[in-house]
Amino acid sequence: MKLAKLAKASAVVAISAVFLTACGSKSSNSSADKQVLNWSINAELPTMDPSKATDTVSFNQLNNSMEGLYRLGKNSKILPGIAKKTEVSDDGLTYTFTLRENAKWSNGDKVTAKDFVYSWQRTVDPATGSQYAYLFDGIANANDIMEGKKQPSELGIKADGDYKLVVTLDKQIPYFKLLMGFPVFFPQNESAVKEYGSKYGTASKYMVYNGPFKLSGWTGSNLSWSLVKNSSYWDKKNVKLDTINFKVNKQDSTAYNLYQSGKIDATVLGAEQARNLKGQTGYTNREQASTFYLQLNQTKSEFQNLKIRQAISKAIDRSQFVKQVLAGASTPAKGFVSSGLATYNGTDFTTASYVKSAVNYDTKEAKKLFEEGLKEIGKDSIEFTILSDDTDKGKKSTEFLQSALTEAFGSDKIKVSASNVPFKTRLSRTTEGNFDVVLSGWGADFADPISFLDLMTSDNSQNAGKWKNEEYDKLIEASKTTDANDEAKRWNDLVEAEKILMNDQGIIPVYQASEAWMVKPSVKNIIFNSAGVNYNFKETYISGN
Amino acid sequence: MKKYLLKRVFYMALTLFLVATITFFLMKLMPGTPYSNQEKMSPEQIAIMNQQYGLDKPIWMQYLLYMGGMLHGDLGTSFQFSNQPVSYLISSRIGASAQLGIQAMIFGIFFGIIFGSIAAINRNTWVDTSVTVLSIIGKSVPNFVLAVLLQYYIALKLGWFPIADWDGFAYTILPTIALGVGPLAETSRFMRTGMVDVLNSDYIELAKAKGLSKFQIVYHHALRNSLIPLVTLIGPYTVALMTGSMVIENIFSIPGIGEQFVKSILTNDYPTIMGVTMLYSAGLVAVILLTDIIYGIIDPRIRLAGNGD
Amino acid sequence: MEEKMKLQPEDFQALEVTTELDAEKIAAPSLTFTQDAWRRLKKNKGAVISLFIVLIMIVLSFGSTPFVNRDTLVKSQPQYANLPSKIPGVNINGLNGKAEVGGVWVDKYAQAGVPKDKYFIFGTDYLGRSLGQRILYGTKISLIVALVATFFDLTIGVTYGIVSGWKGGRTDNVMQRIIEVISSVPSLVIVVLMLVVFKPGIGSIILAIAISSWTTMARMIRAETLQLKSQEYVLAARTLGESPTKIAWKHLVPNLSSIIIIQTMYTIPNAIFFEAFLSFIGIGISAPETSLGVLLNEGQKNFQFLPYQMWYPAIVLCVLMISFNLLGDGLRDAFDPKTRR
Repeated sequence: MKLAKLAKASAVVAISAVFLTACGSKSSNSSADKQVLNWSINAELPTMDPSKATDTVSFNQLNNSMEGLYRLGKNSKILPGIAKKTEVSDDGLTYTFTLRENAKWSNGDKVTAKDFVYSWQRTVDPATGSQYAYLFDGIANANDIMEGKKQPSELGIKADGDYKLVVTLDKQIPYFKLLMGFPVFFPQNESAVKEYGSKYGTASKYMVYNGPFKLSGWTGSNLSWSLVKNSSYWDKKNVKLDTINFKVNKQDSTAYNLYQSGKIDATVLGAEQARNLKGQTGYTNREQASTFYLQLNQTKSEFQNLKIRQAISKAIDRSQFVKQVLAGASTPAKGFVSSGLATYNGTDFTTASYVKSAVNYDTKEAKKLFEEGLKEIGKDSIEFTILSDDTDKGKKSTEFLQSALTEAFGSDKIKVSASNVPFKTRLSRTTEGNFDVVLSGWGADFADPISFLDLMTSDNSQNAGKWKNEEYDKLIEASKTTDANDEAKRWNDLVEAEKILMNDQGIIPVYQASEAWMVKPSVKNIIFNSAGVNYNFKETYISGN
Repeated sequence: MKKYLLKRVFYMALTLFLVATITFFLMKLMPGTPYSNQEKMSPEQIAIMNQQYGLDKPIWMQYLLYMGGMLHGDLGTSFQFSNQPVSYLISSRIGASAQLGIQAMIFGIFFGIIFGSIAAINRNTWVDTSVTVLSIIGKSVPNFVLAVLLQYYIALKLGWFPIADWDGFAYTILPTIALGVGPLAETSRFMRTGMVDVLNSDYIELAKAKGLSKFQIVYHHALRNSLIPLVTLIGPYTVALMTGSMVIENIFSIPGIGEQFVKSILTNDYPTIMGVTMLYSAGLVAVILLTDIIYGIIDPRIRLAGNGD
Repeated sequence: MEEKMKLQPEDFQALEVTTELDAEKIAAPSLTFTQDAWRRLKKNKGAVISLFIVLIMIVLSFGSTPFVNRDTLVKSQPQYANLPSKIPGVNINGLNGKAEVGGVWVDKYAQAGVPKDKYFIFGTDYLGRSLGQRILYGTKISLIVALVATFFDLTIGVTYGIVSGWKGGRTDNVMQRIIEVISSVPSLVIVVLMLVVFKPGIGSIILAIAISSWTTMARMIRAETLQLKSQEYVLAARTLGESPTKIAWKHLVPNLSSIIIIQTMYTIPNAIFFEAFLSFIGIGISAPETSLGVLLNEGQKNFQFLPYQMWYPAIVLCVLMISFNLLGDGLRDAFDPKTRR
């Protein structure tokens, strides 16, 4: 009863907030004391249920209206969230979090350890259908629960009183703290989930919040909503914006028209717009933590030859590729791990592990290597098919690669054909190993090189090319076990591993995706991370012009 | 009359049933899955998810369940918006589309009638010629090109109207014009032809002979009689507005059905695609029936019970 | 009385032969129906000009195939990207290779290091490909789509209509219900569904048009056939035991020809619009091929910076649509003089 009343009250608050923001947005230019940010995006908000979210829009809204144990700051730095103290056992398998006592849900309930237990159990429960539950891999019993072999209550998370949370792991997870900043690990208010039932997270009123902002004005399918400052947030004094208005504009030109007229403060740009606006004030390039790369099927004799693998890599002019296929809105890949993902002592991982010879464009050297390689395998020519998606981009990519390789080595020595299939088909053919060369893409979920490098260990199902290197496997293993708690050693292991991968050309990186934005210079302190959740607006503010 | 209506309604239901069936099986042929994160999911998880969406059942069973649900107004759950019933998605977005469509229809027909009549009254003068030229251009310029131009020149450069969004009447003006110009051109051509016909007829000669003023003749006799055939255009206009809304809503960021439809196509959201297709078909069938009935009432020469043509 | 009328044989004299039939003579040469229609069409200036434009476009776009085809479309010269128009001998800003950058007219050709004698009359796109060539290719695609739509109108539409009208009874009823089902889904929705199920491309567009475009034609043909069926000459042919196919071919089709031609002229602009629309929302023709819709979509994204990239394809598309519409009107007036005013 009481809860229902509270819910009603909060609904009233939410509704009045809608009116207030509606008024606020109209007079935003005149009232300078109000901090309002107008943000344009190009897709709708599909869900606010932390267990079910799969897309960046949802993750961004969740990250700003909810809070987990930690909040990720600049360069994915771990900042305090609901946890105020963390103890890690010596073996790295038990985490004990002490939670702050002043954190509240927007319905007035306190945020307790039980909310975390409930949320995590709900997410790994196969009945919930969470597409991101795989991130729980490593937490005790998580995999068995996801496969239906154990009950969700057996998950390695226990509440010890209201403010103590104990998490037990099956194996060490060096990036465990980073994961805690990801929305699937956020707490959920059990009474709200139960009360709203199937409507939970389908509209701003069917949701409770514990983050810096509260969502309002979202009906579940509309094209505009806002995040308004949450007055019950524990750290509200550091939240500077009063309102963030989100507007969905699917046409890039519409969004840019609005930007030019001053109606919005930030918008993502299309490839063509990016090309024309590059270098202007406000132009911002936001690199994504996703790399597109070629996997060569190493069960085929020609691809077991290192020189041929290197030759193929050197025959690809990556900057031309980016220009022609992607119309300029991405960057040539420097390695497998995306740049801007992780730094140690101020050095970016890609800089530390850069192997120039693995990604440079050099047709002369390529030709030489190729001919030597052909001699070594005793063939006059090779023939293969490049597998890729049947999207516009996929087709353009294979076309480019086809012509680049044919031009570099001559059509009498190499015969490249293209096979463009639907995404699903590509995935199944890749995992079955039914391909010669495939163009794959991978996006990191958290800011650690391991989210890429794990893929290329000998027994990983994503390592479809079956590239094997014992030393590589050992280094990755060491980073997870012996060196897991030693940041410097672990970093070194990963850098060395990437270097091995590149020197041996286990894969051929092609490009790193990125997004171009126009953001008004008056908008300060936006925290953007390329992996996991992109935006953190907690301390963003507007000042000057 | 009653018997005729019953027959028409029966055929309507049959038509919709066939449309639903065909769309259902077409959707089953579609490549791709509803899972946006499939790459990272284990086969076991995919199996569990399929079970939840009922995708593990044999197709005929899925078909029966779908048809059964539809009778209760349940169009399934969207894949793109988790836990969001398709019927809710449609109902929450239909308002904007309906408003835009009706406004565009009224705009097009109203100005079309005015332009067409003016052209007919001033037949073979420069007024007539310019109306004809304008209506040919109006018919020939695709509405999405017009929308982009209006947005850029009228909204951004001149600042007369909002650029995009849906927040009051001012926001509806440019999209209404972009969408309504096609019907306007068509109406004015149609109106001109009809009016010229009527102006040449005997009863207008009689009215002239009786000494009625030009305005009285046009208003009381010519206009009314040339309006009747316009009713037949409402059906085709409905189609044009439904399809036109797909791009217009997209360009002006209007939360409507057309925009939703395009999005659901691009994200493989089959339940939504099916739901919107059914909505479009039902709407069109209803409009056609309605115009036939109206036509029968206002023009007694057409006998409803006759050939169902 | 008898005395008053005394007629002598000499009173009767033959008139001169030459003056005999003067009043009945047809001054103009005898014309067949087609000749008459052609004569009327020629009087309609708009229609004649449109006909010429359409013919020129057909010749140019199909004639250019040896020079503009899939192979040349793939080639790009990124160093010549986004150049404005440059027409030899014209020195108007915007058409002489200059573009306005921050209020100053800058010679983009010189900046990009384009040789003096190289001209891109319609400018270039973001990969330095000649926009003119792409527009030509796009026009060809639009015309192909139009041709295909016409073909299905003529084959499926006409046959379906004749059979339905001729057979009558239950066959007619069933066939009409089928048409009703097809036409109660907006045709663009059918097309969209087809394109979703099959992969986007010219083949799918053609298939989708084949399914949805012919219904109006079939309806009109059926209505006309119902009328023609009861004409005396058709009855006569039937009584004489002529086969239905022969009757259809010899008697019905010629009499339906005006409707067929007029309706075709309305199908064409619709089909062209279809293709442009689909490509515009991104499910039409895919790269490296291009169409007017694709070009419009690309140009639209760039409209604020390089307006010519949308204007040129838009103008070509509009001219094409206007020409077909005017030609359609002209043909309707020519073939059906009753509606002419």
